[in-house]
Amino acid sequence: MTPRTTIKPINFLCMAPQAQAVSLVGDFNGWNPQAHPMRQGPDKAWTITVDFKPGHHRYAFLVDGALTLDPRAQGITRNDQNQRVSLMPVS
Amino acid sequence: MKKSSVRRVPARAAASQARSASRPRGRIHPVVIYPFRHPADLSHLDRLYRWIAELAAEPATYARPVTVVDRKTHHSMAGNAAYAGFRAETVGVHSEILDAWCVDTCQMWYSGLGQAYDRGDSDDVYWLIPGDFNYGSQVGQEVLSRLHDLPEILLDLDQDFCVGEITTDHNNPKQLIDTYGTFALLYTWFPREAQEIREYTERPRSEFFAIRHEFLGHILRQRWFAYEQTMVTLLHAVFQQKRISRFCVGQITDLHDGGETLASALQQVERTERVLKTLWRARHESDPGWIARYRDLERQSEIVRRTAQTLLQNLLT
Repeated sequence: MTPRTTIKPINFLCMAPQAQAVSLVGDFNGWNPQAHPMRQGPDKAWTITVDFKPGHHRYAFLVDGALTLDPRAQGITRNDQNQRVSLMPVS
Repeated sequence: MKKSSVRRVPARAAASQARSASRPRGRIHPVVIYPFRHPADLSHLDRLYRWIAELAAEPATYARPVTVVDRKTHHSMAGNAAYAGFRAETVGVHSEILDAWCVDTCQMWYSGLGQAYDRGDSDDVYWLIPGDFNYGSQVGQEVLSRLHDLPEILLDLDQDFCVGEITTDHNNPKQLIDTYGTFALLYTWFPREAQEIREYTERPRSEFFAIRHEFLGHILRQRWFAYEQTMVTLLHAVFQQKRISRFCVGQITDLHDGGETLASALQQVERTERVLKTLWRARHESDPGWIARYRDLERQSEIVRRTAQTLLQNLLT
């Protein structure tokens, strides 16, 4: 229904104040933990902004090595390793 | 925040991964379920069919939408000019009308999805759109702008079934029925499958879903129930190790929400139990000693149902 042409910046927020390292992983970066490390702000929240093309994307947070669902995600699905991951539409 | 556990990749899931890269993009078949009671206020249906018209204008993406109308609805509106006009000038213009005698709503699904399936191809997906929601409201229009995600998730991520979840608070009657009735009974009759279903959704009886051609073909060939078919489809999805997704469609309410009576809630719990008992028997009646196990489960189920009835009576009256 919506033209699928533009790239859109998406903000991610992960509340893991005690974590040592958090990264964003998903189909878009081959689930590579090194590709998109998140930064912790003064409020201890971890954030990152990533450009996405339109469509549906599978992703998760890697919190100190543990795959973690995004509680703000609009959906849930499984990745190719059959792990439960978050689902995000970009239009 | 929940942490997922690493799981073994089932053979079917692995096969699905291999399929996804090479699979051509199929068409989407919208199937609209016309309200059983034709509403006096047509604003919500009118908004729905303006949106259906947009789908019908994209034939490369969407097959011609099908609208299922129960013959009882049609006959009850005999001589009603507003109904006749809306049917002829809106519903019939933007979709193909399938008139069918149906014992309950899920038989309307069966007729509509079955007809669409017969016309579909192996890469296609089928999209159920209930007609009796408040699509004319602001929140309803937001929901309409998201519903297309359900079939697109199947196509983009090579999934087999995507259930649309309505956001409700914990004290909403539908939520209470699902928490104390549906899930309690599911945990009794199909405990392993129930746990997996709840990993995806709190609304296993949702009327919003999309389903892939192969899986729909499997489901259509199973015993179809006149009610609670989404729950049955979710169970078959778990039995068959199908790829399930859940997508939040928003805070929409159905046109008779708020009028959820205790009698209606009890009926929903009772028929959920009836469906689960029938499905359990169908899967176990060839097992040695199944009847003793069945009677034990039936005793437990009765306790669960009575507890649900007590809770619903306390909360809904």
